[in-house]
Amino acid sequence: MNWKKAVSVLLVSAMALSMTACGDSETGDTTGSNSDGNSVAEGTEASGSDAASVDTSDADLVVWTLTDDLKQFAAKYEEETGKHVEVVVTEPENYPTKVQTAIQAGETEPDVFVGEPQMLQDFYDIGAFADLDALGAQDYADQIVDYVWEVGQDADGIQRAISYQITPAGIYYRRDIAQEVFGTEDPEEIGKLFADYDTILQTAQTLKDAGYRIFASDAEINYFSGDSAWVIDGVLNVDQGRLDYMDLCVDLYQQDLTAYASQWATPWYQAMAGEVPILSADTQGGTDDMNIWQGDSQEGIDAFNEQAAAYSEGTTEVFAFGLPSWGVLTLRDHVGETSGKWGVCAGPSYGFGGGTFIGISANSEKQDEAWEFVKFCTLNEDTANWWIEASEGDTVSLIPVLEAHKDDANEVYGGQHLYSFWLEQAEGIDYSKVTRYDKQIGDYWGEAISAIKTGEASKEDAINEFYDKVESTFPDITVNR
Amino acid sequence: MNGIGYKVKKGILYALLILLGVTCLLPFLLMMVNATRSGAEIVTSFTLIPSTHIKENWDTITGYFNLFKGMWNSVKVAVPATLLSIYFSALTAYGLAMYKFKGNKAIFMTILIFMMIPGQLGLIGFYNLCAKLHLINSYIPLIIPAIASPGTVFFLKQYVESVLPPSLIEAARIDGAGELYSFHRIVIPIMSPGLATMGIMGFIGNWNNYLLPMIILNKNDKFTLPVMMASLNASTDITANQGAIYLAVAISVIPILLVFAFFSKYIISSISAGAVKE
Repeated sequence: MNWKKAVSVLLVSAMALSMTACGDSETGDTTGSNSDGNSVAEGTEASGSDAASVDTSDADLVVWTLTDDLKQFAAKYEEETGKHVEVVVTEPENYPTKVQTAIQAGETEPDVFVGEPQMLQDFYDIGAFADLDALGAQDYADQIVDYVWEVGQDADGIQRAISYQITPAGIYYRRDIAQEVFGTEDPEEIGKLFADYDTILQTAQTLKDAGYRIFASDAEINYFSGDSAWVIDGVLNVDQGRLDYMDLCVDLYQQDLTAYASQWATPWYQAMAGEVPILSADTQGGTDDMNIWQGDSQEGIDAFNEQAAAYSEGTTEVFAFGLPSWGVLTLRDHVGETSGKWGVCAGPSYGFGGGTFIGISANSEKQDEAWEFVKFCTLNEDTANWWIEASEGDTVSLIPVLEAHKDDANEVYGGQHLYSFWLEQAEGIDYSKVTRYDKQIGDYWGEAISAIKTGEASKEDAINEFYDKVESTFPDITVNR
Repeated sequence: MNGIGYKVKKGILYALLILLGVTCLLPFLLMMVNATRSGAEIVTSFTLIPSTHIKENWDTITGYFNLFKGMWNSVKVAVPATLLSIYFSALTAYGLAMYKFKGNKAIFMTILIFMMIPGQLGLIGFYNLCAKLHLINSYIPLIIPAIASPGTVFFLKQYVESVLPPSLIEAARIDGAGELYSFHRIVIPIMSPGLATMGIMGFIGNWNNYLLPMIILNKNDKFTLPVMMASLNASTDITANQGAIYLAVAISVIPILLVFAFFSKYIISSISAGAVKE
């Protein structure tokens, strides 16, 4: 009887686990949320303890967000003004639903809420954000990096949201490998090795010949692939640049030039810290595919040895990662012993990824108060300076502050002056090429590329399927095949 | 010869079952091991050897929210919702199964049809309804609707028809018992294995319910456990909180185990009781 019970408890726990696990599997969603592990633990301990002790019903302001950065901002704001700000954090996946339902039902809370670039269009369309121009936002127009300012505007050019950070993309590379293979570690020079897709392919080959791999995954240049708009005047636009990008990804994969990791997966992170085993396209699933079941025949043993040899060909090191500016923090937390050996250079084009934009709810009854908070977070130089410290290296959007910090040296990146670099990259971003469809269409394009590179589909079939998907997901887009 | 064949068969069977058992339990073990590891460790390697970061993970959790507050909130939602659901479902099921009246079939069919409509469809409408009734940030919209749970009624109706001989109720009536009295004193005890089963299912469902509380509740101190735990995902570098998430999940499973341990007594005891009778 007793063991029966024990067994059933265990079984149910397994069942319960599978149920709870559904909600908690890593989303792998690479949102622009970009504060870092260490500062979070410290920062939230401080803000968390007082959040628990304060009765939330008398909050002066209610803020909804999807990253915990704003918790730290709110704690700082409370400290400076004595006003109580209640921050409600919802995980990114369901955050847009929650905001849209609440705003459309006419709720007066939240007063302030945030959005990431891909959500903002939808928020603008339902009139969720209050008009910041009416509150005087235009006075600050020249203090914020241009593209960020434009992302925060709706179709009519009215300012709706402002971000405290910029997220331009760059190529993070290993200085020591650069020195060894290319004889230089200067970001300008290394940038030339990534100047266009053909050059990248050559660079990749050179690195492979020297025993390295250029990238861990073949998706590293994704952030730089948006040199043209996906949709122009309601017509799907697949230009030569997109096709070239596709060819590049396929070549990188098929010619064995990457380490075959998937972005945000375990081996990808491992590659940041140095040596990783060389995977080939056949063994990228680890040893799963290895022939271990025919051990009794000589043939089987030979086959096994051959595969094992292929698998243990040795180790390699990965040269570069392509990530937005918040990658500075991601890398810092994972580089381990290669810290200090990294550098950042420009990619083949300008691009950006993520970013948290703060706006005021159109239903808020405390818009003036809310505007004070938004100004505090985004337009206040003291806050920006504090945030650079608190986040340990996030890139802010206030131009005067970026300029003041332009000589800051970042030791993880060999003492490079990152803020001036990011400002330069951000100034090159042309936001007119960004459309609301980018995320979804980009994902479909990525699926097409995967299908081609693994040989699942021919190029023609994959592109046709891509067209089909776009057509059925967005009936309002005209697709000219 | 025969004996050896039997032993081999049995051996294979046992091996298969053990393999299945391990497969079922491995994720559970992995969860407990990962609860002691840091986010960076979890994303960079795979192992079953526990690490030393349980304290840091716990600190991360407490930095985000009060886990026990969340558990208490979840108890406040899940327990009443489960009790209401099984009581009223039993009442409905008993009525539909044992009384003959006009429209009995039609009502049952309606319930069946409602069982087939996915609940998420009405989410936005439900939110608007709650907003108009000023029930946002309240547990009432999470508890009261549990009274009408078509799936439970359906199950219990089949169940009560099979375990309850009508003559038992007739006997009670002859002895002068009122209808509700006989329901409470005779029907419920007989149905208790079915109720326990549905109770466990209902409790797990309510305990893990995420979408509705996430939409309805807006205050940090009202969040139920799953909503709180999801906020660990909401932040930072995606790898940073992985360990804390595993730890939170491991802790949140405990109440479900307790409920099962409590209810399973009824299930097991009455399964054997049924076996002897028939």
